[in-house]
Amino acid sequence: MSYGYPAPPPGPYGPPPPPPNHMVMAILTTVACCLPFGIVSLVYANKVNTLWQTGRYAEAAEASNNAKTWWIVSIVATAAVAIVWLGVLISFGGRVANPY
Amino acid sequence: MPMSIPAEPVLDASPGPHRFARRSWPPQPLAVLALAGSVATYVSLVSPLAPGHYPTCPFLMVTGWYCPGCGSLRALHELVHREIWSAIGYNLFAVVMVPLLAYWWLRWVRRRSLATGPAPLAAAWLGWLLLASLVVFWIVRNLPIGAALAP
Repeated sequence: MSYGYPAPPPGPYGPPPPPPNHMVMAILTTVACCLPFGIVSLVYANKVNTLWQTGRYAEAAEASNNAKTWWIVSIVATAAVAIVWLGVLISFGGRVANPY
Repeated sequence: MPMSIPAEPVLDASPGPHRFARRSWPPQPLAVLALAGSVATYVSLVSPLAPGHYPTCPFLMVTGWYCPGCGSLRALHELVHREIWSAIGYNLFAVVMVPLLAYWWLRWVRRRSLATGPAPLAAAWLGWLLLASLVVFWIVRNLPIGAALAP
């Protein structure tokens, strides 16, 4: 939308500061959350770097927001699974045949 | 949030230095370290190697395929117990990520203590390489030839 516009007034040191790429949370939710949502976050995290380094600052900021959204989705989904699992565990009194 | 720190002394000039001190305490890296330590301790004590302690990966349960994270809890448990080869056997990718995350954490601490701005972004191809290797790992560990990478 604001493509091509020189985004926020460039400071004395050149381009605006890069947006957070959320790479760490993307990796953590990919490795620890058992759901492929972390991968989506990882894709957007990489897009932040690519877009920002080619000067597309507005799109980089958008990718940054998406990366954040998806690692949050991953955590919430995992928490939901854990809560359901806990509920099952409690209602079956721990006698769950876990298909490990 | 970190960007606003340099502006703090100006904003809080009238109330004195106390608000500045409270603002920078507890430092986020310490909180993250404490959280990581608690998770590692919990996973090392409540063994994921025994069934019934943790839920099964929902992706594995629904599709029957391993996700890239399958085995990471067991790998973490084995790492804490200094069984590195066993950890690698459960999830190579997770084990490789541990030193990388530690490096990022150290860099974060340094940037915060020097009060510099946000870190410069790494070369984009590095991130894409990471993503590509993750996807390859995901596929190969589900194939018969990749049995060594399966948890």
